[in-house]
Amino acid sequence: MKTLKIVLAALLVACAVLLLVFSLQARDSLPGILDRMDPQQLADQDTQMKKARDRVDNALLEGDREKTLRSLDRYMEGFREQLTLDSQVQMDLFFFRNGPSMIALALFLLVVAGALVLAAFSRRAKVKKSALYLCLAAAVYAAVYILENTVGGNSMLMTVLKKGAIYALIAVSMNLLNGFTGLFSLGQAGFMLIGAYTYAIFTIETASRNQVYQYYGGGLVQFMLPPLVAIVLAGLAAAFFAFLIGLPVLRLKSDYLAIATLGFAEIIRAVFQYDGLGPITNGSNLLRKFTVFGTALYPFVVAGVCIALIALLIHSTYGRAFKAIRDDEIAAEAMGINLYRHKQMAFVISSFFAGVGGALLAMYQTTVQAAAFTSAMTYEILLIVVIGGMGSISGSVMASFLFVAASEWWLRFLDNKTVIGSFEVPLLRSGFRMVAFSVVIMLVVLFYRQGIMGDKELSLSRIARRLGRRKEGGSHD
Amino acid sequence: MSDFISANLPYLLAGISVGGQYALIAIGYTMVYGILRLINFAHGDVFTVAAYLMVYMNATMPLYISLPLTVVITVALGFGVERAAYKPLRSAPRMSIMISAIGVSYLLQNLMWYITGGLAQQYPTLPFISGTVTILGATTKVVTLVTPVLTLLLVVALVMLIHRTKVGLAMRAVSKDFETSRLMGIKINSVISVTFIIGSFLAAIGSMLYFTNYTAVTPTAGAMPGLKAFVAAVFGGIGSIPGAVIGAFIIGISENIIKALGLTTFSDAFTFALLIIVLIFKPSGLFGEAVYEKV
Repeated sequence: MKTLKIVLAALLVACAVLLLVFSLQARDSLPGILDRMDPQQLADQDTQMKKARDRVDNALLEGDREKTLRSLDRYMEGFREQLTLDSQVQMDLFFFRNGPSMIALALFLLVVAGALVLAAFSRRAKVKKSALYLCLAAAVYAAVYILENTVGGNSMLMTVLKKGAIYALIAVSMNLLNGFTGLFSLGQAGFMLIGAYTYAIFTIETASRNQVYQYYGGGLVQFMLPPLVAIVLAGLAAAFFAFLIGLPVLRLKSDYLAIATLGFAEIIRAVFQYDGLGPITNGSNLLRKFTVFGTALYPFVVAGVCIALIALLIHSTYGRAFKAIRDDEIAAEAMGINLYRHKQMAFVISSFFAGVGGALLAMYQTTVQAAAFTSAMTYEILLIVVIGGMGSISGSVMASFLFVAASEWWLRFLDNKTVIGSFEVPLLRSGFRMVAFSVVIMLVVLFYRQGIMGDKELSLSRIARRLGRRKEGGSHD
Repeated sequence: MSDFISANLPYLLAGISVGGQYALIAIGYTMVYGILRLINFAHGDVFTVAAYLMVYMNATMPLYISLPLTVVITVALGFGVERAAYKPLRSAPRMSIMISAIGVSYLLQNLMWYITGGLAQQYPTLPFISGTVTILGATTKVVTLVTPVLTLLLVVALVMLIHRTKVGLAMRAVSKDFETSRLMGIKINSVISVTFIIGSFLAAIGSMLYFTNYTAVTPTAGAMPGLKAFVAAVFGGIGSIPGAVIGAFIIGISENIIKALGLTTFSDAFTFALLIIVLIFKPSGLFGEAVYEKV
């Protein structure tokens, strides 16, 4: 078993190295490939062909990958007869086109190989399990990167994935509070707003500040922070406000807490739109021209790290204390758990991650306006948490992607007039999507109260056990 | 002096008027909370639906039909919401019912958006209350004067209903102790239905008064007055009807004082700040009873 694993790992490493070598080689070899495609220099005789080829060369010189690929396609399509495409050229072209994806694949294979080696040399089940999760995470990231490079960064699929990842982080942060600690808080939109604004304010390009803050003389803040620092700062700002508001509010019981946090979010929204704070918040005007992410990997990595941190917290002693408070406050107190301190901790940490989520959301939207962070936004996130299952991290993550995909993509057709033959499908027009969507949500809330996961987590061992049991059952028949 | 009065009287009048309108919504919140311990987040949307009903029906029917029909349909909606969304969850944890209420609110808002196309609609002018009058040099709509009077009349009628009739007795019993009153033979479901019917009826009346003042109806127009009415109910001590009415008037008037001071941006924020302050210093509100959790 051990040798098998090591051999397998060695094979994977060999594959990965091959892939890496090929794609790194192909990266700079386009001029060479072009020469080999056209050995008789036909391009010098045909002005049309020359023009097309020059376009490829120019795009390559500019360093614009997408443009290069587009002009290359046009060149090859237009002059297929004149070009010689042997298998060597075709392979080089393949690696040039899919270079980044191949590199991602190679890195994924390396991670898997590393995990295999780890599993081979360690006897502890915990190490083996974490090796498995490492592989899974690597697979997700590689898949996202490859998808982005094949279907294009602006496609609907990528939009859904990016927004889904951000919502997943926010939903998990809300679940920490509502599902794990049993505090019914409705202030998430307020903390997201603080995060989004903090991030935006500190990353607007210095040169554009006069333009963005045109009514407030260029604004007060006149420097720029690196994005990651600003994201952390966004989380800290939200956490700080959570600490302040938590002092009085956390002493309240369930529904009073809900309404007080909801009210707090409304106050924040009003304050950020206040004209007197204009030099900082730009009043009720948009904030724009701040740093945004270029690749979908960015929100995935940030959200992934944050969710992993929350998961670690929940599995620690603090997490068990949170769950004890949720299940029975009085019993938990009698067991020596400091109610107020733990509630405050859950509240502050949840808000920190909501602030980070807000910052990511600002990056995703490329503009921020306080007016958009209404209580309806909090409700949406609460419904995601409910659909996923109160008290399940993996449920919240799955529900976020489902929710975003359904509302942005799959149900779009409900908003358009549809005619089949001469029959116009009734009811379909703008707005019907959200109606159908909210009906589905109500059905979940009423008849499927546990949500997708209940309070369980998606775990590979459980799935494996269930599959195994099914197989066993089958063999008895 | 007379300058001071004529400059500030409109704000005071507006405050009293909007306070009365909040009071009519707040009663719906406080009664439902008193009996089910549920913040009925959908109440503000029922209030908006009533406004839309009036807009659409007034376009096709004479007033003496559209007005009562609006009230009847609103009441039916409130009743239906309770039956469909809250009754199946009666034995569920309280958080589930609250989430269901949020879901209903989301559904109603999306439904209104779908039917109306999301555009703001002009609320029809109602005879008797849309005209203008001049008091002490301040010009205002008749509705400003009608609202407090009508509110007080309705509240008195409601208090009579609760203290003098059998249904009222049942309601008081249920809000005191849900389980025991069921054992005593009170039909819980019909008591709850009556509560929702009364709440929706008052919301329908409140919506007519409110939208005569603020004539633009949008799918989310009711969310803010709904929340404020809830704050009023908490302020007065949730479960107490006179408390809700007094709380609503205080909030309506102070909100307009804030506007008079030129801080319109903060008029909403002030309401919630007030709520948080009340909850810190007197969580049971002005007239509420403190509740202790038994082990």
